[in-house]
Amino acid sequence: MTLTYVLMQNLRRNPLRMGLTVIAFALPMAVFVAAISFVVALARVGAHNEAQLRLGVHHKQTLTNPLPEALRRRIEGLDPDRARLAAVCGMRWFGGRVPETQNTLTSLAADVDTFHIVYSDTDMTPEEVVAWQRDRTACVVGRNPATTYGWKLGDRVTLESTVPPYLALEFHIVKVMDNAERANFFYFRRDYLDESRKAAGFDDPRCNIFWVKCRSAAALRSLQQDIDALFAHTPDETKSEDENAFAANFTQAAGDLPGLMQAMAVVVVVVVALVAGNTMMMSIRERTRELAVFKAIGFQSSRVFTIVLGESVLLAMIGSVIGVLPTAALLYAFPVRGLSFGPISGLEVSWVAVVGSMVISLAVGLLAGIWPAMRAMRLHTTDALRRVA
Amino acid sequence: MALPLSYHWRNLLVRRTTTALTVLVIAVVVGVFVWMVSFAGAIDRTMSVASDPRKLIVLKQGATSESNSALPVDEFNKLSQIDEIARDADGRPLISPEMLLQVSLPRLRDGGRTSANVAVRGVTEAAFAVHRRIRLTGRAFSLGEREVIVGRTAAEQFGGLQIGDVVDIGYGGVRGFRVVGYFTGDGGPMESEIWGHLPALMNASNRTMYSSASLLLKEVAEPDAVINQVTGPAIQLAAMSEADYWENQSRLMQVYRFVSFLLVGIMSLAAAFSIANSMFALVAGRVHEFAMMRTIGFSSGSILTGLMIEALMLALVGGAIGCAACAVWLTAVGHTKDMFGANTFTTLAFDIRMNPAVIAKAMALMAAVGVGGALVPAIRASRLAVVSALREA
Repeated sequence: MTLTYVLMQNLRRNPLRMGLTVIAFALPMAVFVAAISFVVALARVGAHNEAQLRLGVHHKQTLTNPLPEALRRRIEGLDPDRARLAAVCGMRWFGGRVPETQNTLTSLAADVDTFHIVYSDTDMTPEEVVAWQRDRTACVVGRNPATTYGWKLGDRVTLESTVPPYLALEFHIVKVMDNAERANFFYFRRDYLDESRKAAGFDDPRCNIFWVKCRSAAALRSLQQDIDALFAHTPDETKSEDENAFAANFTQAAGDLPGLMQAMAVVVVVVVALVAGNTMMMSIRERTRELAVFKAIGFQSSRVFTIVLGESVLLAMIGSVIGVLPTAALLYAFPVRGLSFGPISGLEVSWVAVVGSMVISLAVGLLAGIWPAMRAMRLHTTDALRRVA
Repeated sequence: MALPLSYHWRNLLVRRTTTALTVLVIAVVVGVFVWMVSFAGAIDRTMSVASDPRKLIVLKQGATSESNSALPVDEFNKLSQIDEIARDADGRPLISPEMLLQVSLPRLRDGGRTSANVAVRGVTEAAFAVHRRIRLTGRAFSLGEREVIVGRTAAEQFGGLQIGDVVDIGYGGVRGFRVVGYFTGDGGPMESEIWGHLPALMNASNRTMYSSASLLLKEVAEPDAVINQVTGPAIQLAAMSEADYWENQSRLMQVYRFVSFLLVGIMSLAAAFSIANSMFALVAGRVHEFAMMRTIGFSSGSILTGLMIEALMLALVGGAIGCAACAVWLTAVGHTKDMFGANTFTTLAFDIRMNPAVIAKAMALMAAVGVGGALVPAIRASRLAVVSALREA
């Protein structure tokens, strides 16, 4: 009689209880895998941003106060050998709305010469860089708006700015960005914006933020201090933040969905542990006599322990499989794209999330089964045999 | 004849472990549910305050919120041609010109690790007449000095807004504005703002245009007619009721609310199955006992009711623990949350408070879940064939 046989028999003993427990286990696990996918995606974006080594320099009081574009040369002047910084790209918020809709894209005007260096993660090929630099109206689009509005490479698109002076500008798409981190963005040339503003009577080229591409993490930290020190006590007082800190401000205010997901993940683990523990306790209590018989016929205590623990783990794994796999399949088939909660652009299930969920279930199964298993192991055989159900 | 209540709760106490674990599951789910509902309630309360039916907000056409609207002064002046605007004691129309700035301030609830964009509104005396629910608690800003007053919720949630603190607002120079007083707005969106004198703030930020205007209409006026007049060829601006404006801005919050309720809904379902599980166990071990009771003379109806009562007891005790846990969480960990308006780029701060209505809702939900989960086992138990059940060991 193998362990597996015993376990399967035990689970088949009370199919109703098994069924209810499995469902009560599976539902929270479904929530868990979605929540964990979110958390994993966030961690991935965080790691990506850290590797990109970009430092954001904006006005200390608020991001909406623009800085003079001459600040770029002063920042570059801090490091003439380019030992610490590779390039500086000034950006200005455009807030372009897709005409006939209420959707405002995260659209920014960027310096033509350094955009592809500072944003090397857009993976622009040399030909695409040439196209960007040759065409005044060139723009680079993330995959989310491209999919939503059916834009393709080479299309001409118009956006209406939602900030004064409310210009409507036409752009020519030279690249559609594939990667997840840039999925919600729309970049175009700042010289085109400044010319258009000048034509409308607003001649003040400024930037809301300067992104500095640093050569190392240590360089980033030292530049952060030097840049803020350089502009302290001037009208253009700055605050420099790395990309993750910058994004964190928005994540918090955009509803802190990551925080919600993390909290839900913890709640789920607690609930399923309680559910599994409950069932195991019930199961053991009614089988006291049977387990005593096992011991009486010669099963060692450790074997009894293994049987009970194994049953708990098997229960947890079954519930987990039923909860996680359909959810993962659903999210794989219909990934939620087009989210704009801070840095997360979509909810896609990842293998890390699925494997992580299974591992957590295994741990919960073990945890929930330990106490009943120990009770079973420590059964005093003759006392237990004497007990009436 | 009904079974005595003491029988039921003694029964639950005998099976301590099962009861405890089931109650805990319910408590956890209820705790989360109460938090969600309280947050949704805070959003609703704020939005309901911000729906004065006589108030209109006027923006530049093409702007999506006050923050990105630039209203030139001469276009603003055209608004005085509208007859339906209420007048003050001196016969002047109640139109409030306003200008929005932002300032980045540390959030108190995470120790200043992240910063929030707080709205700064430049107002004139007309603002206090138009925004009827704003009440000063203390001094107002003096007209000649660089002073500001702070909304109550903003002062509670963001750093550097206590009386006497100096906030750097403005552009082109370090412009310190001293906080001299607070104001309340019945919990509406304006309580998350800082208010200052319009000319002083325009000076500090080198601006020449307003952001928006708020109008108070006469009681007999038709808001839609006035909106048409504002968007018409004579004035050519955008107007909407205050309620519509804030409802548009609450889009992000509605998404958050939907997601959180979806998650809690699924967890409640899991709690229902857990209760059903426990109830089946509670019934299974007592088959003999129920048969005995039937022979004594209790009807099958009273057994059914009795089991429902036990499930209700589990649900209510779990619910009570969950509510208590949520209250402890809110006091100990934090009861504040702020969220961006959809287009304002500034945050609305919320105070999450439990109130009896929320607790009642949570208890009602759990009672329904408990009863639903216990229905099938209870019916089964009440339909026992007495004699064969008696024979069971």
